Amino acid sequence: MSHITIQNLSAFYGDHHALRDITVEIPEKLITAIIGPSGCGKSTLLKCFNRLIDLTDGARVSGKIIVGNMDVLNGGTDVTDVRRRMGLLPQKPNPLPMSIYDNVAYGPRLHGVKEKKKLDEIVEKYLKIGGLWDEVRDRLKSPASKLSIGQQQRLCLARGLAVEPEIILCDEPTSALDPVSSQHIEQQLLKLKNDYTIVIVTHNIHQAMRLADYVIHLYLGELVEHGPANEVLENPKEERTRAYINGTFLADVKADQEINLKGNMCPYNFVYAKQALHALEKGKILKLIVDDPTAVTEVPRGMEAGGHEVVSVRQQNKTDWEIIIRKKS
Amino acid sequence: MDKLSEEKLFKALMIASLAVVVGSLFVVVAVIVWNGAPALSLSMITQTPKGGYYLGKEGGILNAIVGSLYLAFGSLILALMISLPAALSLQKDYIGKTKAAYYIRLSLDVLWGTPSIVYGAFGFIIMLYLGMRASLLGGIIVLTILQLPIMIRSMEEVIKMVPADLKEASYTLGATRFETTALVVVKQALPGIVTGVILSFGRGIGDAASILFTAGYTDSLPRSLFDPVASLPLAIFFQLGTPFPEVQARAYASALVLLIIVLALSIASRALSKRFMKNIIR
Repeated sequence: MSHITIQNLSAFYGDHHALRDITVEIPEKLITAIIGPSGCGKSTLLKCFNRLIDLTDGARVSGKIIVGNMDVLNGGTDVTDVRRRMGLLPQKPNPLPMSIYDNVAYGPRLHGVKEKKKLDEIVEKYLKIGGLWDEVRDRLKSPASKLSIGQQQRLCLARGLAVEPEIILCDEPTSALDPVSSQHIEQQLLKLKNDYTIVIVTHNIHQAMRLADYVIHLYLGELVEHGPANEVLENPKEERTRAYINGTFLADVKADQEINLKGNMCPYNFVYAKQALHALEKGKILKLIVDDPTAVTEVPRGMEAGGHEVVSVRQQNKTDWEIIIRKKS
Repeated sequence: MDKLSEEKLFKALMIASLAVVVGSLFVVVAVIVWNGAPALSLSMITQTPKGGYYLGKEGGILNAIVGSLYLAFGSLILALMISLPAALSLQKDYIGKTKAAYYIRLSLDVLWGTPSIVYGAFGFIIMLYLGMRASLLGGIIVLTILQLPIMIRSMEEVIKMVPADLKEASYTLGATRFETTALVVVKQALPGIVTGVILSFGRGIGDAASILFTAGYTDSLPRSLFDPVASLPLAIFFQLGTPFPEVQARAYASALVLLIIVLALSIASRALSKRFMKNIIR
């Protein structure tokens, strides 16, 4: 059963064509992962669902999104009603400037729950579902901003669920969190999929594998492939999907040569990398470690311009980045 | 120059400018207290001027204290009622991005820099036209107009700083623009809003030129909105203008009273808003 039906959806930011003619269905009460590299339109797609895109200057959307019997993009549809039916778990937790209690009670209050006893029940119920109750039950009146980032994210989950949506949208919900908090959120999502349709945007293939039942792959605003998770992730039909999935795993690929360029500034990074590549045979793989922020973008760009293939660029730790290049010419 | 001496130079510069600020403020306060404190007495703040007060005889400046408080709080409330919605409407979510908003900000900036005597003259002309005489009401209205640009612009600057994240959070929970503004934006921007209010209160209670023609001056307490009313800045001005040293000392004492009022409101409002500020997202 499909819950969200997307037909010929296109989105523009000014002249930039962010989503190109997307047609896909999102199944009910399953976790659907939207995967793809940065800037491919994943978050834009999510923003179309709850019409948060209306708030972006110069954004235009065409096509159709149907949720149940509601035509989301229709101007006549009440946007607050749309958003009420879809909770959003943001990339970075964004607690409201009020107490923990008031954060969770915010939505229900907006939608007419006034009775103190009823609100108490709602707050307790959803903080429990969010997996935060035991940690905050004694300090419900203290400011939400005093919680740790991981707790804040669980609070955002509880707050989103408290308006009783049918769908949970997650925009890279664990990217700002430490591993333990990430795992916590993932576990909550797996529990929640019995009752909710969940759509999660992620650039982390491993996360998609752990969570998703259904996968949608976007690349440069186009829908490349979609289908059940095991099919798409393990046996992709499309070359671009395969390349993307493999690319993110290439960390395990054996490099033929590895050079450490830490402490070098641009353009020396670039010069050394070029020399090293020059010495290699065609098709061999070079791994670079850099710590200059400029090099992270400029070295791959320069290598691509030189006709080589940039296989992956990954952050290793706070300062160091790993760039993997395959010699092509 | 190496980095270390650069750092030192900059630090010295900062300390020097702080010294200028604190030093000049200290001198102003010291002169006022030194000259005013001996003349300050209970009768000074509990009595209206008796006959011959301005020649050094008995009486006080209760008329000016009461008048200034009426004028300042009257205009403060009126200005706040207009400024807060106006500043909120200049958000991006409402008209903030339009051409009209640009011109509104521009004209507010120009008005902010306009000398208050211009407001006074303007108010006076309107009042002449309407056949009104100098009165508490006239003074309140002109002071309100004087305070509007200060309040709106300073509030708008902090309202603009409210993170888009927070508004989005509210919108995604199904809040309308109004609910988001009233429940989230105002809460988050509260410290700045309070600062804007104090700033314009200070300007309002300390201004003499705009109320010179519009509120007038009298030795008695106002009985209605349509009576002329005295004010502290004008009391200071008149007393300083006399040739008698004891009356001049009373001018300093009046200045001291004015200073204490501003200080008290400043402290009170900060203490009050602190209670509401603990939830703010930093």
